[in-house]
Amino acid sequence: MVQKYTSMAYASADDLVFGKAKFPVKAGLGLEIGAGYTTPEINYAPRPQAGKSKEKLIKEYERITTDSMQRMVQIGAPSVVLETEHVEQMTNNPSWGGEVAHAQKTIMEEYHDEYGIKCALRHTPGDIREDRDFLKLRGDKYDLLMESFEQIAQNGADLLSIESMGGKEVFDYSILRNDTAGILFGIGVLGSMDMEMIWSDIADIAKKNNVVAAGDTDCAQANTAMFIAGGLLDKNLAHTIAIVARAISAGRSLCAYEAGATGPGKDCGYENTIIKSISGVPIAQEGKSSTCAHSDVMGNLVMQACDLWSNESVEYHGEFGGTSVQCWGESLAYDCSLMNVALKTGKEKGLRDLFTLSDKYRDPQGYVLAYENAYRVGQAIVKDGTDNYLRTKNAAVECCTILDEGIASGKLRLTRFETKALAKVQADLAALPDNSDQFMSDCLTKYKEEVAVFRPENYGL
Amino acid sequence: MLDLKKEDIDGILIRYNVSLEKEMTPDEAAEELYPKDELIYPIAKAIYEGEEDDVIDGLKAAIDAGKNPIALINDALMVGMGVVSQLYDEGIIFLPNVMMSADAMLDGIEYCKDQTDEVPEPKGTVVCHVAEGDVHDIGKNIVAALLRANGFDVVDLGRDCPVDEVIEAVEKEKPILVTGTALMTTTMYAFKEVNDKLLEKGIKVPFACGGGAVNQDFVSQYELGVYGEEAADAPKIAEFILASGDGIEKLREEFHKH
Repeated sequence: MVQKYTSMAYASADDLVFGKAKFPVKAGLGLEIGAGYTTPEINYAPRPQAGKSKEKLIKEYERITTDSMQRMVQIGAPSVVLETEHVEQMTNNPSWGGEVAHAQKTIMEEYHDEYGIKCALRHTPGDIREDRDFLKLRGDKYDLLMESFEQIAQNGADLLSIESMGGKEVFDYSILRNDTAGILFGIGVLGSMDMEMIWSDIADIAKKNNVVAAGDTDCAQANTAMFIAGGLLDKNLAHTIAIVARAISAGRSLCAYEAGATGPGKDCGYENTIIKSISGVPIAQEGKSSTCAHSDVMGNLVMQACDLWSNESVEYHGEFGGTSVQCWGESLAYDCSLMNVALKTGKEKGLRDLFTLSDKYRDPQGYVLAYENAYRVGQAIVKDGTDNYLRTKNAAVECCTILDEGIASGKLRLTRFETKALAKVQADLAALPDNSDQFMSDCLTKYKEEVAVFRPENYGL
Repeated sequence: MLDLKKEDIDGILIRYNVSLEKEMTPDEAAEELYPKDELIYPIAKAIYEGEEDDVIDGLKAAIDAGKNPIALINDALMVGMGVVSQLYDEGIIFLPNVMMSADAMLDGIEYCKDQTDEVPEPKGTVVCHVAEGDVHDIGKNIVAALLRANGFDVVDLGRDCPVDEVIEAVEKEKPILVTGTALMTTTMYAFKEVNDKLLEKGIKVPFACGGGAVNQDFVSQYELGVYGEEAADAPKIAEFILASGDGIEKLREEFHKH
């Protein structure tokens, strides 16, 4: 049963703060996420040769888990979440994922029993629903994916997540062609439809196994836009277009919570502040302490409302200061310590504002995601909350309005190129229909013709 | 919430892209680069603007006026695409402009080929693939488009491409360059297998790898590997091979930046 959000969880943007969510989530071994403290979430990837066999993979994850837990107790961290993003072998062979989860959880239980450290294990199967040429969102691959969720839920994973890919075939085509309608159709309509299907089933599996249906991220689309946009000097995509894609993605990723997920949302969902403002679920975020995985232009700002603080991913290997998971985990833990001190001393809103302000004017992406603006995007979404097309279009329009205001204030300085790209998006949005049936019909005609790999049957169309 | 005064922001961050933005608009810069020939000019401009229909109209007019369709590929379409590539390299236009121009150019090439039995002189073939087990192909799609935009023939093996399929394609197509992209650490291991199997067969073709978790240290571990940090490096590597040969060490000296 999908229940769409039509109102905001918080009465005002100022209520959004790190470490506190309106609806905290209990998970794993003594952990409560969003209940007044932040927790590091350590992420990692096995070394390339570890994927050669199941035995090697399990051994690799045992090393990663032991190293991470050991460092957390060595520095006195009170809580930790470990996230295992599956390599494809682990999802395609569901028992592998289950055995890895079991091995990791066994080690975590030992640390919990001995030291009392609060901890939980998140597993994120890969979205394997495709063959070489096409997305294959329904059918055999879907069943295999759900079997993977069953196996990890039965064998130790406390938090279930995925970075689902619905709509990506149209999005990939559109983002490289500045095609606003295609970006909206790919993320806001097709992505949302797929999210509603997949998260209804993940929530059922979580409920059956007494674990948490955590949440999703629009990594496959909005993060692709963010990465193509890159740094200030990169010339691959206007940052104004990247943030419009991000605003749209909030309506799409919100579908997980409407279908039964409860949070914490996935770390790389930079749309999560918007989602928290609407839903009140706890969120994971990544930024300045995930530079091991990628660069962004809002490394402090995204801490503003996080409940879990993540390093996104790091290949497991040795560094001067220990293994990579130990080094990056330690950085996260000290970030969390600072936030937790702010929470204990009543200074959290001040620290939040410092995080936000340090990046708010760095880039249009950070400007729109600054919590008071993110809240406005949330309001635009819930205004037409029951219609996936209208609400994501609203988000895009509001995003453009916020940017216009920033430019007018003189504080947000954009290049002519970024301003021109923004004007084009606004004109494109203004030309779109107000009726979702019409938009669907127009887009089906256009993208069936233009995007060779687009298969409407993936969406039951 | 707290806010900063406008005058305080520069002490905290600098948007270097704003302060360095060129005075000239992209359209003005392109105008300076178009060829002056009145039959070629509209084709080159239509390529820059990414307008397929205008490209075809321009080609029709040029052919009606006696221009050779195959010669128009190099003399008009590639010239127009050269304007686009130059502006992209100089940071004046962005990737979506290049993609749309490349689409228009490819339509133009097909049109020219349809007008004659002649076959254009190939510049060189590049085999592109995404590593086995990896389905993330937007990077490969950009690489392929940029190579085509620079006049190379691309054999696109798609995503999740088995190692043996890469080897077969290399044996058949005899490319000047093979490219491999991967997002994940576990799939990029397939690059080493491609390298080893090519060497087993005595094939020493440069193998340019990049994407996601791929880094220069990893690519340097196998004999044929050349690291490409950005998609835009692919045509530069291919051009370098045409100009200076396919020695791996020379390529690494040129393209390994770290």
